[in-house]
Amino acid sequence: MAWIRPTTGIALLLAAAVVWWTAPAAAQFRRQAPPETMQIEEQPGYEPSAEEEHLPAGYRRQLVFFRTTEAPGTIIVHTSERFLYLVQGNNRALRYGIGVGREGFQWQGLVKISRKAEWPDWTPPPEMIARQPYLPRFMAGGPGNPLGARALYLGQTVYRIHGTNQPQTIGQAVSSGCFRLVNPDVIDLYNRVPVGTRVVVKQAPEM
Amino acid sequence: MGGHLTQQIRSAASALAAAAAILAGAAGAVVPAQAQAQTLKAVKERGALVCGVSEGLLGFSAKDAKGEWSGFDVDFCRALAAAIFNDPSKVRFVPLNAEQRFAALQSGAIDILSRNSTWTMAREVELKLIFPAVTYYDGQGFLVRRSMPVQSSLELDGAKVCVQKGTTSAQNVADYFHANSMKFDLVTTSSAADAVKAYDANRCTVLTSDVSQLYAQRLTLAKPDEHMILPDVISKEPLGPAVRQGDEQWALIAKWTHFAMLNAEELGVSSKTIEQALKSEKPAIKRLIGTDGKLGEKIGLSADWVVRIMRAVGNYGESFDRNVGAGSKLAIPRGLNHLWTSGGIQYAPPL
Repeated sequence: MAWIRPTTGIALLLAAAVVWWTAPAAAQFRRQAPPETMQIEEQPGYEPSAEEEHLPAGYRRQLVFFRTTEAPGTIIVHTSERFLYLVQGNNRALRYGIGVGREGFQWQGLVKISRKAEWPDWTPPPEMIARQPYLPRFMAGGPGNPLGARALYLGQTVYRIHGTNQPQTIGQAVSSGCFRLVNPDVIDLYNRVPVGTRVVVKQAPEM
Repeated sequence: MGGHLTQQIRSAASALAAAAAILAGAAGAVVPAQAQAQTLKAVKERGALVCGVSEGLLGFSAKDAKGEWSGFDVDFCRALAAAIFNDPSKVRFVPLNAEQRFAALQSGAIDILSRNSTWTMAREVELKLIFPAVTYYDGQGFLVRRSMPVQSSLELDGAKVCVQKGTTSAQNVADYFHANSMKFDLVTTSSAADAVKAYDANRCTVLTSDVSQLYAQRLTLAKPDEHMILPDVISKEPLGPAVRQGDEQWALIAKWTHFAMLNAEELGVSSKTIEQALKSEKPAIKRLIGTDGKLGEKIGLSADWVVRIMRAVGNYGESFDRNVGAGSKLAIPRGLNHLWTSGGIQYAPPL
């Protein structure tokens, strides 16, 4: 909880208090629901420790049962459940915990990895600069870079699967960014998939 | 010849008996209709649902210091209470051990059993029960050390396997290793807890039990992070709620409560999106939450029964994640319990 900004924390407490006040019975059984979005700003220059990059068990990289008609080697991103699957065949997949963009990537369908990069440079888009004017206009790749250790570019879009220097954003919808993995995970994924890999993106159904 | 004649007489007699049964059924048509609604009626009159749960099973049903029950099995009864009373707290939980559980249901002491119980034909036909749905597909699996270079249970040749003596798990593991031409040593213990201790003390390389139990047992090991559960499952343990036979309406309520929670997840309807869903123009969503049609009323509930469930408990995925999945201490991957569209086999008929 330490990473939630104080104002957000207070807002959450207030929200919780309102729910408790209006519907005590219902509120009790929802206490562990994960926050829908996370108000966190980029922290260029911050270098996470190995301990921080060791995710909670539920989001740690692991082999899971996974039925699919997609071929082994395909990446399937389930944005609403915050997991990325690398299909292994034989009803299993390697599952990685991810953070997703809150408003960023609404598209769903099939793309291919068009390019791979190690320690990518970061050029914050204009919208992000508008929101956080103190951000650098350019930052060379490296351990404190918000794009993390690796980037996999998705087709001709501006979106990519990349690392992060903010491990606490895994499992969250954050205010900006595409699909982010902790650096050890994105390095692992990078080493397993070539350019041309099929990426299936699935979004929560529209109302 | 004699045998043939006897057979003819027998079949004539059974035909008569069948005809009598049909007549009796027709004459007594009013009686079964009344009997059918008895559980819901009794629950409404009592003002609370009586729900049989386990005495304490991490993630599935547990009572906290304040006496509040929570868990995946508990949520199912909360959902029923929400659908019936629009109040998930109108449930009385009755903790039951494995021997008591079905008798409590048969005697009418509880309205429904939601206690990690495996659906089998024997239980339905011998105990006169109905398992309306599979809320959790469990099965036997294997826990190993992460340092072991193994990704599949087919790579366990030569393993020393810890298992509780006299369980179906012990039989299953022997069958599985034989069937797949693998050698193994069985280290049997008198209790499940001893099996975990033996594994933790390196007396074996593999611990086997039902997967949901392995995830709970992993947390009791000295260094949980150094162990993992293989994704394979070698037996079928379909867990779900059970009700008495003879009350179709009640069985339908239980069945469609589960299916409604699954369909909600599939359609993106959750505790967080329900207000948005109420404005949706999508036909499947409108049918589900009762903004179009009144299916809920046809089973003795309200048209907005699913809205009530969403607000109180949420959809299937939310309950799974909160109690046993990624958002819980157990951190069990969805696996078989994922929706059919997302890698699993949870598949609900549409409304």
